[in-house]
Amino acid sequence: GEGNYGENAFFGYMGVSAALVLANVGAAYGTAKAGNGIAGIGIWKPEAIMKCLIPVVMAGILGIYGMIVSVIIIQKVKKDVAYEAFYGFSHMAAGLCCGMSSLAAGYAIGKVGEQGVRSMAQRDSIFVGMILILIFAEALGLYGLIVSLILAQ
Amino acid sequence: SWHDIFFNTSPYAWAYWGIALSLGASIIGAAWGILITGASLLGASVKAPRIRSKNLVSIIFCEAVAIYGVIMAIILQGKMNEAEIVPATHQELLFDGFAIFWTGVSVGLSNLVCGICVGVTGSVCAISDAQTPETFVKILVV
Repeated sequence: GEGNYGENAFFGYMGVSAALVLANVGAAYGTAKAGNGIAGIGIWKPEAIMKCLIPVVMAGILGIYGMIVSVIIIQKVKKDVAYEAFYGFSHMAAGLCCGMSSLAAGYAIGKVGEQGVRSMAQRDSIFVGMILILIFAEALGLYGLIVSLILAQ
Repeated sequence: SWHDIFFNTSPYAWAYWGIALSLGASIIGAAWGILITGASLLGASVKAPRIRSKNLVSIIFCEAVAIYGVIMAIILQGKMNEAEIVPATHQELLFDGFAIFWTGVSVGLSNLVCGICVGVTGSVCAISDAQTPETFVKILVV
């Protein structure tokens, strides 16, 4: 028979899309929120801005996670009978996994980054604490990436 | 039934929905970004007219997001023209239709949030530039 690869592609490509879009939503939120904080402190302490770009970079990395998972899943969605429903659903799960984790991590990085840079401008020693918190938030996105890569096999 | 809704609506319909979303959502994002940036820019320009020309670059970044959506819509529409020539099985049509649909969704929604993000950043860039000119370039990096 011909199989259902067309129908299964719906879920496979949904995974591709979800990974990319949701990760970008998280990255965008993180960038915008942290950007707000940076602009706020830039007014009266411009020399601190370069250090304060770290939350923005970490938010950007989440977008890269989403893109990596998307590209990997795209290469596994195949246009022949062998693409069973199993693969369709597992690719959907992989995409949602990475996407929603990066969305959550981006939200956290945004909030922490905004308040962190505002506090860091007033008291320099807070920098280390902010970095530690941001690393924990970034780890959440990394967990999503790892599980997605395993699911996409 | 659910199966009919998803898999018996024409794959062409899915594909064109994708093209429409890629264009529409990108433009909504760009427009939202421009409105956020523009409102702040105009407000801040009242007290500091010198920032007007430099901060137009933020608005141009938002516009670029819309252009991305337009380019992708044109590329996807080119693929639709190819599809009408070759007859194919229903599953093959479904596969291609969903591929184009989700491509359009990816492009459109990504550009939507990108436009909003650039808009918010551009707006605070304008406001802080009005107070302290040397912050402009550093926030442009963001």
